[in-house]
Amino acid sequence: MLDFFQTLSDGVLFGATYALIGIGFTLVFGVMHKINMAYAAASVGGAYAGLLVLKVMATAPPALVFFCAFVAGGLLGWMVYVACFHFIPLSSPLATLMSTVGMMLLIDEVIVHVTDGMPQGYPAMFDDVMLRAGEFSMRGDLLLVFGVAVLAMIGLLLLLYRTRLGLATRAVSQQPVAAQLCGIRLVRVNALTFIVTGLLGGLAGALIGASVGTLSPLLTVPLTVKGLIVTVIGGLGSVPGAIVAGLLVGGFENVLQLYRGVTERDLYVMLLLFVFLVFRPGGIFAAKGGRD
Amino acid sequence: MLELRTLSRHFGGVRAVDGLDLTVQEGQIFGLIGPNGSGKSTTVNVITGLFPPTSGAIVFRGRDIAGLPTHLRLREGIARTFQNIRLFGQLSVWQNLWVAQNSAQDLAHQGFFARWLGGQRGVREEIGRLLEFSGLAHKRDELAANLAFGEQRRLELARAMAAKPKLLLLDEPAAGMNSEEIGQLRSRILKLRESGVTILLVEHVMELVMGVTDRIAVLNFGQKIAEGTPAEIQAHPAVRKAYLGGEAA
Amino acid sequence: MDFYFGLAQLIGVHTLLGLSAYIVLLTGQVSLAQAGFFAVGAYTAGMLTVLAGWHLVPALGVSALSGAAVACAVGFPALRVKGLMLVIATLAFGEGVRLFFFNFDYQIAKGGIQVGPLGGEGFRQIRFFPENGWETGEVMLFIWAFVAAAMALLWWFDRSRYGTVLRAVGEDELAAQSVGINLTAVKVSAMTVGGAIAGIGGGLYAHYTTHIEHASFSILLATFAIAYPIVGGLRSVFGTLLAVIFVQGFLVEGLRFLGDWRNLLFGALIVLAMNLRPSGILGRRRA
Repeated sequence: MLDFFQTLSDGVLFGATYALIGIGFTLVFGVMHKINMAYAAASVGGAYAGLLVLKVMATAPPALVFFCAFVAGGLLGWMVYVACFHFIPLSSPLATLMSTVGMMLLIDEVIVHVTDGMPQGYPAMFDDVMLRAGEFSMRGDLLLVFGVAVLAMIGLLLLLYRTRLGLATRAVSQQPVAAQLCGIRLVRVNALTFIVTGLLGGLAGALIGASVGTLSPLLTVPLTVKGLIVTVIGGLGSVPGAIVAGLLVGGFENVLQLYRGVTERDLYVMLLLFVFLVFRPGGIFAAKGGRD
Repeated sequence: MLELRTLSRHFGGVRAVDGLDLTVQEGQIFGLIGPNGSGKSTTVNVITGLFPPTSGAIVFRGRDIAGLPTHLRLREGIARTFQNIRLFGQLSVWQNLWVAQNSAQDLAHQGFFARWLGGQRGVREEIGRLLEFSGLAHKRDELAANLAFGEQRRLELARAMAAKPKLLLLDEPAAGMNSEEIGQLRSRILKLRESGVTILLVEHVMELVMGVTDRIAVLNFGQKIAEGTPAEIQAHPAVRKAYLGGEAA
Repeated sequence: MDFYFGLAQLIGVHTLLGLSAYIVLLTGQVSLAQAGFFAVGAYTAGMLTVLAGWHLVPALGVSALSGAAVACAVGFPALRVKGLMLVIATLAFGEGVRLFFFNFDYQIAKGGIQVGPLGGEGFRQIRFFPENGWETGEVMLFIWAFVAAAMALLWWFDRSRYGTVLRAVGEDELAAQSVGINLTAVKVSAMTVGGAIAGIGGGLYAHYTTHIEHASFSILLATFAIAYPIVGGLRSVFGTLLAVIFVQGFLVEGLRFLGDWRNLLFGALIVLAMNLRPSGILGRRRA
């Protein structure tokens, strides 16, 4: 029984990273009604870029690496926007979808080339710290991951609900034409959405690297799939939904790994998705302005 | 032919249709009018099955069809046109009519293979007649998206007729038309009635409504506030008030 | 010469994959599940010829049926899921299939060795062609016979009422319902036909490569599958064929001199193609 709670707690803490990835997917969907399939890849790419700091200064503190990943993520997010959404007419949804898939493959391949396919170690913070309460313990590094993720989510929610940009973003997601008629520059909102989600993604990638200890291009596809599952379970377009779903998936996945092993674990996560699709296709929370 | 018994359709707190009682006799051209937001289009949508009724019954030719999915209602004999035209833009005029031949008669008439995998030959004559009727024969291979507005409206009507309906629901077919076009539409509607189709006409354009209907019902806020012949309706005080405003009742 | 036969085999099999995505795409459903049906067909045909000693042709028949059956089963829940959610659901399904085969062992002893699928190691020794004396050129023609048949079938559909109804559903489901089209029947049938075609493609794939494993049926393959009809355009089946030739022939093989970099180029070229010609190579009918 203790094992169960321990595993659950570890999983939920890690699930905060899934929540960040889910938020990225869901926010782009909410604003542009499109899925950015390259999002997880860009997040992993941002995390890799964070490692460049170590190349320059081998003794750089992990926080600096994380910050670099954060910034790189934003940059990559902007690049994905330009390559896949800026020029392609919105009336060709298939084209944007395919181009983000192309970007995903491109980013993946670049990572493989630059690193020769070798996994790279990732710095962690507080990995030697353990909070104990009797038999129950929480890893310090996971707590940090969780904490940073929560801060990022709070930051995002503040941005969405307390700033003009956030207001403009929400307006565009509900009524793009009317928003433009009110003087909101669509291009700016769209580009900024990508940059903001990119920042979050880079951070998420770094946090994943930190808690797992290594970074490998093999992360991209499972992370994409899990991120999308989180988005769907949480409800396309709902940020709170993505948060809850991310934690849920993290916990669920870890518990299943305890009982059924790593190889079967992912199958069960898939099954969780199908259960939701069949019984609750709208997700946990209804999506904001969710047509489609 | 069609009977709506205390039909209601609510969307959350909004009572789009509220306890509507309506009877359309076979062979009638029945008009449904009312100010914007009075529930006319919602009524049509509920009759065709796009929304289930919140309460009440829809009885078509003696049968309650409230549980029937949309495509089966078509087979029962209810067809409609759309207020904002919904043609298959990437299909040709001919193809738009072809895919719409889903009446019970057509189903019984042709075997499975002929119907689905056969080519165009078996149905050439029938579709030809529809094209003639709507004056679109010369555009049969043109993509629907390339047609002029008036032509698109005619195709929309022809497509509804392709299903050999017994009841035809026209949702604001005269929107955007000039007097001449309205006149042509009027004669087309009368011709349809002659061929045995009952028509429920939802419309704003009074020129058409008054000139073609046998009977009119007026909706306001989802409820029927008046029913009668065109002459009676034109003189009705409640109708005037609904459209033009006035002292509170 | 063998090199070109091999390339032609690859193009043939990928064309079947692309065609399976094409028919589903006509109904407006973007499916990343076709690689999953392809995998089912591959393992089915392989197991029948290797473990049960069947001849390839009936084995391919069963591949088609199994692909169709799985696709039909996927088709129903897919109805409840619209647009982009369907993309995600089919993506997850495809991954699920891959994971299933990653965990799948079924070996029996034949002629002193163990044969059959072995989880992560895959399924080796699918040697129907070499054991029966088929030359590379003959295998190529065999594959293309099926490709031609599939293209003929879909081309026939396109000219028949069924194909027109598929496109009507793809264009406007609401209008389609209102003119009496049964959306469920249309969408599920398209998915089923697509599954059958993908199943045959998978069966052929397993036999000409002689070794399949879970990694062959990844998201990349699912992407290829849907990329072909999107890049080729939905105007006709030939668009898909052209897209396969362009992607596999020109891109992957022709840029061979770029060595490892050509995989990188694939992604970049898709991005470029979609920016330059969003409606596909052959595009839509002029509107």
